[in-house]
Amino acid sequence: MAQFLFFLLALICVISILGFILSKNQIYNALCLVVAFTAMGGLFSLLDAPFVAVVQIIIYAGAIVVLFLFVIMMIDVRKGIPPEKNRWTLYLSVGISLVLAAEFAFSLSKAICFLKTPATKEIGNPTALGHILFTKYIYPFEITSVLIVTAIVGAIVLAKKREEE
Amino acid sequence: MNSIMAAVPLLTVVVGSLFLLILEVFLNRENKSYLGYISLTFLVICGIICTSFWNKDYSYFNGSLHLDNLSIFFYIISLLTIGFVILISLKYLFLQEANHGEFFALILFALSGMMIMVSSTDLLIIFLGLELLSISSYILAGFRLKDVRSSESAIKYFLLGSFASAFLVFGMAFLFGISHSTSLLAIVQHLQSGTSFKLIGFMGLGLVLAGFGFKIALAPFHMWAPDVYEGAPTPVTTFFSIGPKAAGFAVFLRFFHIYWHSLESSQAIFWLLWVIAVLTMIIGNLAALRQTNIKRILAYSSIAHGGYLMVAVLAQDYTSLMFYLVVYLFMNIGAFSAVIALSKKNKEFLELDDYSGIGFQYPWIGALFSVFLFSLAGFPPTGGFLAKFYVFSAAVRQGLVPLVIISVLTCLVSVFYYLRIIVYMYMKEPFHTVDVYKENPALFLVMFLCVYEVFQLGINPGSILVLIRQALISLPVF
Repeated sequence: MAQFLFFLLALICVISILGFILSKNQIYNALCLVVAFTAMGGLFSLLDAPFVAVVQIIIYAGAIVVLFLFVIMMIDVRKGIPPEKNRWTLYLSVGISLVLAAEFAFSLSKAICFLKTPATKEIGNPTALGHILFTKYIYPFEITSVLIVTAIVGAIVLAKKREEE
Repeated sequence: MNSIMAAVPLLTVVVGSLFLLILEVFLNRENKSYLGYISLTFLVICGIICTSFWNKDYSYFNGSLHLDNLSIFFYIISLLTIGFVILISLKYLFLQEANHGEFFALILFALSGMMIMVSSTDLLIIFLGLELLSISSYILAGFRLKDVRSSESAIKYFLLGSFASAFLVFGMAFLFGISHSTSLLAIVQHLQSGTSFKLIGFMGLGLVLAGFGFKIALAPFHMWAPDVYEGAPTPVTTFFSIGPKAAGFAVFLRFFHIYWHSLESSQAIFWLLWVIAVLTMIIGNLAALRQTNIKRILAYSSIAHGGYLMVAVLAQDYTSLMFYLVVYLFMNIGAFSAVIALSKKNKEFLELDDYSGIGFQYPWIGALFSVFLFSLAGFPPTGGFLAKFYVFSAAVRQGLVPLVIISVLTCLVSVFYYLRIIVYMYMKEPFHTVDVYKENPALFLVMFLCVYEVFQLGINPGSILVLIRQALISLPVF
């Protein structure tokens, strides 16, 4: 069952990433990305990492892609990127992806040795994480809450419409 | 001593800003200035609590909030800065249509960020404090909603500041990677003992320095400062030129005190800082020569002063560093409040031409502004002279003679652009009529307090030096 699910999720992931690369429409690109991230979240939950899985879906599929969508809405979708810029970014992206592939292959060849020792269960465990967050790291946690309040207040101050003006 | 009391000053400020946020909803537009007085009340309460904790040495949260004398000293510096900024902005916000009640809540949030930064030796906490300070600063920079330059300043500050934060976090990740700890002491110990991770440690330290260098506007990370300072509302600019610098140098002080005393502190970091200090002084002072906008001149001058503070860090003399910060606080707030004094409804006089003849037209403003400019340039009876004298003499004692020669030369250059403003004020015919809004008692209170302190620190610095020595006792001894 787990293997079947793994291959299903992996297939969805690869297909949606292909769609993301090949599609010309930016909105479809972003939506493909949502699907890919969600499938990746499923893969994480298969690996007994429920916290990482949920974070993957909430933050990547939720917050970040919504941010992308906002950016796409602000630019003119039909115009696209001007062709003269396209040329050198294409070469650059080929170069960078080759470097990335080499890096990936290298880390994979090293990682095979690590597979012999199973990962500790504690890594993706929300209970352990919550416990440490509310004991050892309570001070940074509280500061973060103040930080978020500040950011929200700021967004409202700068964006809200003032009456009578 | 482990006690929740350590968190009380910080809690006072955070509760104060939340209270202001709620109260703001119930006040109509005309009564918004009450919020300023209420925030001042919270600052006074916090100040009284802080001073009563002197020598008590409380700490909480496993020592990540440590209220030693040094923290209290920097708390007081931050409280004074914010208190003065609130006083000079009371009328300004009303005159320049930036009168949104959230101003005071946000500036208290920025204060709490500074307080978090200066009272910790844990990189994670320092980063969060810095972010709290930065995010409130981005918002405050854009507070004049109708002014395009204000929005430009906010966007520039936000984008570049986010990049700087990313560098900072990246560097911190390296440091955490080699030491498995976020405590400054543990990181320094691993930097000197770890042999195989030297390069990673050096990279991490370099990235962290770049991030901090951005936040306190050291060259070559200073590019944002003149644009942001020019566009932001002037009281906010005042805050930018002092608040982040004071907090950043507090962190530098704590870090480099440990770092210089570690068995073999890396020479590369020393020369890196040396180059940064020299570049900051040269670029800050030379670029200020060409400016015609008062806020840009003061922005470059504040960059240059960051360079002199770096000389104090290199000289490993923290008494002079803290004394310089205190003097810089008073003279810079004084200079900026003089700039604010020259404004009327929906109009600020910021070009050098506007200042011609001001000395005779508004004798008080002219005279006080001249005193602050003389102090910034470093003329003898003022605090600015003593501050520079202490820093440079400490550097000479440390054997940094070439650095001191460069610093003194750049000081000489700086005299030109400071005195140019005075020449405009007293020796030029008025270019056009400058009519300013005069009923601003809080602003003049700030100017007189600052001028008093500038002379007090210049003539009789003894009492403050005793306090600084008491504060520095709380640093770890090696």
